[in-house]
Amino acid sequence: MIATLTAALLLHPTAVDAQAFVAQRLEGTSMPDLNGIWQALNTAHWDLEAHVARPGLATVPGPDGELPAVPVLALGAIAGVPGGSGVVMDNGGVIPYQDGALARRAENRAHVLTRDPEVKCFLPGIPRATYMPYPFQIIQGTDSIVMAYEFASAGRIIYLEEAGPAPVPSWMGHAVGHWEGDTLVVEVTDQVADTWFDRAGNFHGEALKVTERYTPSGPNHLLYEATMDDPEVFTRPWTISMPLYRRMEPDVKLYDFKCVQFVEELLHGHQRRTPIVEQWEGDYGSRGAILHMNLTRSPSE
Amino acid sequence: MNRRLAELVCSLGSVVILILYAGTSVNAQSVEESPAGEETWTALTPWGDPNLQGTWAHDSATPFERPELLADRDTLTDEEVAAMEQRAARIFDAGADAAAGDRIYLEALSGGTERFSTGTDTAGTYNQFWLTDRWFENRTSLVVDPADGRVPPLTPVGEARRSALRAELAAELATPPAGPEDFDDGLRCFGARIPMSLRGYNANYHFVQSPDYVAIHMEMMHDTRIIPLDGRPLPAAGLPQYLGDSRGRWEGDTLVVETTNIAVPDRNTGPTPEPLLMLRDGLHLTERFTRVDADTLRYEFMIDDPQIWTRPWTAAFIMKPTPGTGMMYEFACHEGNYAIGSALRGARAAETESAAAGGSPP
Repeated sequence: MIATLTAALLLHPTAVDAQAFVAQRLEGTSMPDLNGIWQALNTAHWDLEAHVARPGLATVPGPDGELPAVPVLALGAIAGVPGGSGVVMDNGGVIPYQDGALARRAENRAHVLTRDPEVKCFLPGIPRATYMPYPFQIIQGTDSIVMAYEFASAGRIIYLEEAGPAPVPSWMGHAVGHWEGDTLVVEVTDQVADTWFDRAGNFHGEALKVTERYTPSGPNHLLYEATMDDPEVFTRPWTISMPLYRRMEPDVKLYDFKCVQFVEELLHGHQRRTPIVEQWEGDYGSRGAILHMNLTRSPSE
Repeated sequence: MNRRLAELVCSLGSVVILILYAGTSVNAQSVEESPAGEETWTALTPWGDPNLQGTWAHDSATPFERPELLADRDTLTDEEVAAMEQRAARIFDAGADAAAGDRIYLEALSGGTERFSTGTDTAGTYNQFWLTDRWFENRTSLVVDPADGRVPPLTPVGEARRSALRAELAAELATPPAGPEDFDDGLRCFGARIPMSLRGYNANYHFVQSPDYVAIHMEMMHDTRIIPLDGRPLPAAGLPQYLGDSRGRWEGDTLVVETTNIAVPDRNTGPTPEPLLMLRDGLHLTERFTRVDADTLRYEFMIDDPQIWTRPWTAAFIMKPTPGTGMMYEFACHEGNYAIGSALRGARAAETESAAAGGSPP
């Protein structure tokens, strides 16, 4: 296991490899051209650390391993979480939590469906927005760069010139960028503490500073690195790394994923004059049975 | 030198642009100090397109349609504008009730001298302190075509649509909400809408340009318009999207944007001018953006729906650089939206009380 992990880490592309590639310039400038629609293809959105596959985001203990919990049971294999080698580059692939913070992550995991901000369609924050299973688009200007994310129509402005301090804390953070050779370095501060890093309960506090690095590593690849520094939650800064892939389809574009609409029933269904989503029944036939799911809601607290 | 640059240089008859262009580098800023200390601006991007980049605000107080009181006046004199500003400042101090859309202009025009109040005790609504300052301009309407500054008459189909819309809104206001669907798009924190008709309430737009794209990151509902410039054709029919499918092209120094496949909302109230609530699926929207000078971006949109209006019409918004830090704040609407839940809880509580008292449901 450890050997496999180490091998995986060694095989990861690095900024040094990436720098060997000479990127096309943004017309009329000396900047590399980062324009495009990009997407990560890995399992970092499930868990930044190495993880084996499991039957669902929410599970219960079974006699021989985990079983899917009721909210995901009817989805069968579609609910399954794929395994992955992890994207944390240092500390043996493990996020260096302080002791108390590790306990909180365990709590987050035990309540992932009700605590993960993605479930409620909240703005994902940085770096999570980058490697969610949705594309994002970079539109690169001369004084600023806009990154537009398909998930929840999230977006942010990266100021390339003196921007001053963040006006207020925000979900997507205050982003100031500069170029180091062909690498776009973005310092992200002033993110609210409500965002997570993944669907595995990995979290941060208000002091989080993220340093992102976008390096062209081929005509259709960017190397993405992000270093997380939060002295209130971690024992030391730690770094993730992954390739981002250019979406190549002709006429590719971002589509609406306005999940605010999708979660209204979850958040407000119990407050309807007449409940609508109450009961579900599906016949899985001879390889299963008729599954009845009855929804009961009661006030919180 | 490309064609657009040549046109611009010819049209301005100036070598200043040439000098600025030659000096443009990756570090060039949109606003620079000239040796004389006056602010100039980089007219073109390094690749030769007119430069619209920056964060722009539309906080004009000018009403959408020309008020009847000003029917024969398409502009006011500077003295009249100053008088309007003074009156507005007096009746809309920080403690005045919040006024959206045309309201500030119309109240100032009506000659009132008392601090503005809606006259209703709407607990929880905010006052003018929370809204950005509106500015006054000489124009008396945002509608510029027809020349009378008013949206043209409706067709019979349009009349019927407007009646139905008004009846629907009145019914909604009179009935406690049964579910989240009974609130308008804004309260539900749904996406931004086009055309961009906001005034004075999160009406900030960050423009960024690349050779093949213009992006407009909109503060309200944090959405981004992404407009290809590479000449690809508009899809004849596509999937309906909030911001549609847009294509942009440069006509001289104007960015012309055509948009189709807009998922037009069936309801979007608030301060949206009523004519814009009547837009329908199938809308073909034409917009024009022109950087008039360093501090002015002119935004026009043309509505052509012969089923609804007897002729096409156009509105023009004058945008200015976002005041203060010039930075856009994040509009995280849904994340802190307690309004829908609280209103629904209130409605259910009222029904429970009413039932307990033996009354009929409200």
